[in-house]
Amino acid sequence: MSRKITDEKKAEGQKLLAAAPVTHPPAVVPDSLPSVPALTPEVNKQTPAVGQRVARPDIRTHVTGTTRYIDDLSFPGMLHCKILRSAHAHARIISIDLSEAGNMPGVVATLTGDEVPVNSFGSTYKDQPVLAADRVRYRGDGVVAIAAETEQQALEALAGVKVEYEPLPAVFDPLEAMGPESPKIHRNNNVYTSKVIARGDVDRGFEESDHIFERRYTTQMIEHVPLEPFAAIALFEPDGQLHLYSTNGRITLGRADLARTLNVPMNRIRLTATIIGGNFGGKNEIRTEPILALLAKKTGRPVKAVYTREEEFIASTTRHPLVMDYKTGVAKDGRLLARAVHLVLDGGAYASWSETTVGKAAILAAGPYRIPNVRVEGHAVYTNKTVTGAMRGFGAPQVAFAYESQMDEIASSLGMDPLEIRMLNGFDEGSASHTGQTLQAVALKETLLMAAKRSGWQEVGR
Amino acid sequence: MKRAGRGIACMWYPIGFTVAANPSSAVVKVNEDGTATVLTGTVEVGQGSLTVLGQIAAQELGVSADDVHVVSADTDVTPMDTGAIASRTTFVTGNAVRLAAAEAKATLFEVASEMLGVEPEELEAVDHRIRAKTFPEKQVALAEVAARAQIVRGRPPLGSASFNPPTVPMDPETGQGKPFATYVYATQVAEVEVDDETGEVEVLRICAAHDSGTTINPALVEGQVEGGIAMGIGMALEEEILFDADGRQVNPNLTNYLIPTSLDMPKIEVDLVQSYDPVGPFGAKGVGEPTLVPTMPAIINAIHDAVGVRITDLPATAEKILMAIKEKERAEVRQLGPA
Repeated sequence: MSRKITDEKKAEGQKLLAAAPVTHPPAVVPDSLPSVPALTPEVNKQTPAVGQRVARPDIRTHVTGTTRYIDDLSFPGMLHCKILRSAHAHARIISIDLSEAGNMPGVVATLTGDEVPVNSFGSTYKDQPVLAADRVRYRGDGVVAIAAETEQQALEALAGVKVEYEPLPAVFDPLEAMGPESPKIHRNNNVYTSKVIARGDVDRGFEESDHIFERRYTTQMIEHVPLEPFAAIALFEPDGQLHLYSTNGRITLGRADLARTLNVPMNRIRLTATIIGGNFGGKNEIRTEPILALLAKKTGRPVKAVYTREEEFIASTTRHPLVMDYKTGVAKDGRLLARAVHLVLDGGAYASWSETTVGKAAILAAGPYRIPNVRVEGHAVYTNKTVTGAMRGFGAPQVAFAYESQMDEIASSLGMDPLEIRMLNGFDEGSASHTGQTLQAVALKETLLMAAKRSGWQEVGR
Repeated sequence: MKRAGRGIACMWYPIGFTVAANPSSAVVKVNEDGTATVLTGTVEVGQGSLTVLGQIAAQELGVSADDVHVVSADTDVTPMDTGAIASRTTFVTGNAVRLAAAEAKATLFEVASEMLGVEPEELEAVDHRIRAKTFPEKQVALAEVAARAQIVRGRPPLGSASFNPPTVPMDPETGQGKPFATYVYATQVAEVEVDDETGEVEVLRICAAHDSGTTINPALVEGQVEGGIAMGIGMALEEEILFDADGRQVNPNLTNYLIPTSLDMPKIEVDLVQSYDPVGPFGAKGVGEPTLVPTMPAIINAIHDAVGVRITDLPATAEKILMAIKEKERAEVRQLGPA
């Protein structure tokens, strides 16, 4: 497959460039100057600064709804981009016909995966295309991008794109995807990252235990739902530098990824993140930025894309669903002696931040408890579903749901109070973690006692 | 009828990953009037991190938060940063800011040393003044020192620094090693009411005790905890992306994918448990992600306490809870009934 921009496409781009109106420098002048002076409560003027309830400088504009997000920015001649998503969960792309869409009202340029200089990105494995060129692996894969004079025209032009697919067998269940017979999504094994944490001897620990508790816990796929959906604008500065405004929470990495996908030196790219209306992990990777940059290059005009809420659901990342098998051996006095955990993470169609998520989930899975024998095994698996990636907690909320549910089951079975069993087993200052790290500044039991006290835990009879 | 229950859950959460490079850098400039400007490559994503970074610089320089302006998130203007991820900004970027401010302060101390006749290492910056640690009456206004440094001495007081938590690789076979710089801890107690005829859950109250090291800004930490609890309630009770048999999302909208609104929020009582992390800036750790971690199990344990059913498959929707209650009732009837 060719990853080069053909001469013909170049010529087409230059023609468009010549015809396009001059791009003005992006003077982001507010519509009006602030009518009120910045709010500075007394507390902001006090020393020492640490420990003060300092008010945020941006709080007034947030509360009055006057913060300027990317969707509030506009540049002369700016085009709007919309992306056609895959019609299948798994398919080969046979052909893409843009003849009709390219001539629809307001359409200025189109872009396909073949035109992206390096058509891949990803935090661990570069397994995700900027625009799918030969194969789609889930319904969120972008196939064609269209830049038009208005958002509505770009949206309408998507209907004019004709893509011919050859559907491939798909797999949606992570446990099924692990099997040898399941359809393969990237390579000959859908399990793409694994992590083991082992300490002591779990088999011996179970033998020495008076009680064994076993349970499977599962969690669901979740969307970050930031108030501000993913948004970006690409434009070329008068000196030829590519300038991107983006809701990107990691601009250092974002610029590196842009330089790589566009094959442009890093000093020729400027990535500016405005105030972002919620990230929660969903904005830690580049998304539409390379597409907008290429469309801006083709047209010589600024190009903007703002995800709809639906796109935010289907084409951004989500929280990993987990299948978690917990087996815990306990002495009759309630001490935890051994815990074996098996985790399967539904990774969706591309790796994204799964490796980090498996790692964090595995490290935390046995809980904040002194357990002499621990074995945790975690696997992330490709499925033909929405990509799962970074989300607030990175695997921790799922395993905490499992280990804390099981702690209550154990307590109830042994006739212990849930607080008592946690105080008996919890980490202390200097305890070794399940990776053998000596823990310092350990405040687990202080939080247990504080929450118990605040809620009146001990006063109420069970 | 509505049945009350309560549940407790605790957690640990790592701050400052060390298994991969995790650097932040910062630039601090002290202006001629004693105010300061901080340049950071991290991104404000709504959590208030820039305010915390400003407080850290202010603390190191002995000035107030209002004296510090923070510039962020522009690859042409601000220095490299690993970003607004992994609850790392206060701990890692905060340390870079603190170190950069300390470097700027070192220049101020050298200039003040000449003015006061006190060795630089004997000086401290407190409440807009630079003074001798042991003779606080020997002092000079920080603004005066800053102006002199720039205008008279020709030594602009600025600093640039980076911080990367010490890296210790993990053993690939056993996972043994030091993957994170430090950990935070938290416990939440949830009080719920479950309608045993509909399975509907109302979360009435959550008491949340969170350790984030030494708190830099209590208001912002409390805000994070409250926001995390909202997210946790959604994950515990209602949020779920559903697919049809062809891999198509069936509820990609806020009509059919329900998230908690302000009306769903319980009474929240937050306690900030103080600890001191020797590596964190002024003892601080972090708070962003861990806030929602104990919420789901606390609610699930409370549901069990209320109606005696254990939901092991999130979310604990009313339908699931009602089915579990019916199943439990059938099992009890079987036990009581004739053999």
